[in-house]
Amino acid sequence: MELQAIYVQILALVLFSIGILTAISRRNMFFVLMGVELALNAVNLSFIGFSKTFAGDLSVAGQIVPLFTIAVAAAEACVGLAMVILIFRNQESVDTDNYSGMKG
Amino acid sequence: MLALVYFIILAVIAVGAALCVLLSKHPLYGALSLIVSMLSLAGIYGLLGSPFIGVVQVMVYAGAIMMLLTFVIMVLNSAKDGNTPRFDKVSLFVFPAVIALAGLLGFALVSVPFGFNAEAVRGSVAFTSSTLFNVEEGSRGYFILFEAIGVLLLSAMAAAILMAKRRIGYTASEKEEN
Repeated sequence: MELQAIYVQILALVLFSIGILTAISRRNMFFVLMGVELALNAVNLSFIGFSKTFAGDLSVAGQIVPLFTIAVAAAEACVGLAMVILIFRNQESVDTDNYSGMKG
Repeated sequence: MLALVYFIILAVIAVGAALCVLLSKHPLYGALSLIVSMLSLAGIYGLLGSPFIGVVQVMVYAGAIMMLLTFVIMVLNSAKDGNTPRFDKVSLFVFPAVIALAGLLGFALVSVPFGFNAEAVRGSVAFTSSTLFNVEEGSRGYFILFEAIGVLLLSAMAAAILMAKRRIGYTASEKEEN
């Protein structure tokens, strides 16, 4: 038994599913953000797992894309948390069901 | 064989910590278990032969992003769920839908044969950075993306400050006058 490429993809799929579940079904704003982060992590893992199935220079491209994903995730967390602070100041709540100000 | 054992240990830790994120009550416990999940993912990156990504994962994800998230959870004191339930009736539809999607994707993955390439390059720090900052003619041009990411991070920081500020031009001396 050796480590197979498919195991990495299955792990990434499981983590992605848990992240999506957290983002959609939890009602606390922070859990929604954490679920998105978890799903992003799983996508990075999938990228690296697939990059190892190529030879030579091609295998480097799949290892560089996660670097940019991590940087974009940092920007996303920065803006997202600022929005959470802003909404919390107006609504005094972290329950996503209360954020219905744009319902009309 | 040894790689598989390490992989299974790290994968079990990662999935267990992710389940803790899904099921924990307080956001702070969720954030701490998310850090554990990210650290074990960094270990898996090193195991797969990309130690540079693993180090960046520990520094940026587990270090910076999650520190920011835990800080905000601690600052906003009533971040607890309170009287709202963790899951509601919508979850009854979300759980089967996501599990069905995962099953379909898993079936598609298993039915396509692929395996590790023995000639894959190990993404060491020296090699990854020399590929990333290769400005010679005929390179892939990752350095332009790098510059764009720098601008994106700067604008995200400015947007965060503008949003979290009470009012533009608001200073402490103004507060005392009011």
